[in-house]
Amino acid sequence: MEEQIDLVGKAFTDHYYHLFDNDRQALSSLYRPSSMLTFEGQKILGVEDITAKLTSFPFDQCQHVISTIDLQPSTFAGGIVVFVSGSLQLPREEHHLRFIQMFHLVPVLEGNFFVHNDIFRLNYE
Amino acid sequence: MDPDAVAKAFVDHYYSTFDANRAGLGNLYQEGSMLTFEGQKIQGSQSIVAKLTSLPFQQCKHNITTVDCQPSGAGGMLVFVSGTLQLAGEQHALKFSQMFHLMPTPQGSFYVLNDIFRLNYT
Repeated sequence: MEEQIDLVGKAFTDHYYHLFDNDRQALSSLYRPSSMLTFEGQKILGVEDITAKLTSFPFDQCQHVISTIDLQPSTFAGGIVVFVSGSLQLPREEHHLRFIQMFHLVPVLEGNFFVHNDIFRLNYE
Repeated sequence: MDPDAVAKAFVDHYYSTFDANRAGLGNLYQEGSMLTFEGQKIQGSQSIVAKLTSLPFQQCKHNITTVDCQPSGAGGMLVFVSGTLQLAGEQHALKFSQMFHLMPTPQGSFYVLNDIFRLNYT
């Protein structure tokens, strides 16, 4: 059971950051009207506004490098909490930004998840 | 009650208990609670308190920098914390981040269902 959560959670996280780094518009497939994002303290509700926020950043490309992923079942009807730390490289920036992020993934259909909760913070030196 | 206020009250209570008397954290966890501490997975209130009270320092002080919270659904609350941890006798504070998933108890308070802790190395 635990291995299942690890596999699913890690696959989801890889997929999330791959989309973020290559095609942020496509992240809309991972959120729903009930999704919540808190981005550096700013609260945003619903797939449309969340996608608008994520596609509004003043860069086209970026690269997330993941350092740690921790996962636990949330016992919310098969949900998973994911806790990520890593660094974010922006184009033309010499130094990486460090970040921490948590997701609460909630199942839709058999084996499929959406991001119900998303909280992102930069990790300043 | 305002969720942000609830989250802040919980965070204050959790860390002041941690800093004053770690054994007192026992009633914030239940049998189904899970802690992942620097990658190590621990289940259940007894084992979690055993882990926290076995950490190799007597005194510490948490200083909280950010607290974010969101409802998780079914009455639960997710709390995402970042801050620093000063250990007695250590010159430099450690940076940490932690998330809690709180679930309501019948008595109207909360217990920690999910707890994930990571030090943030520079």
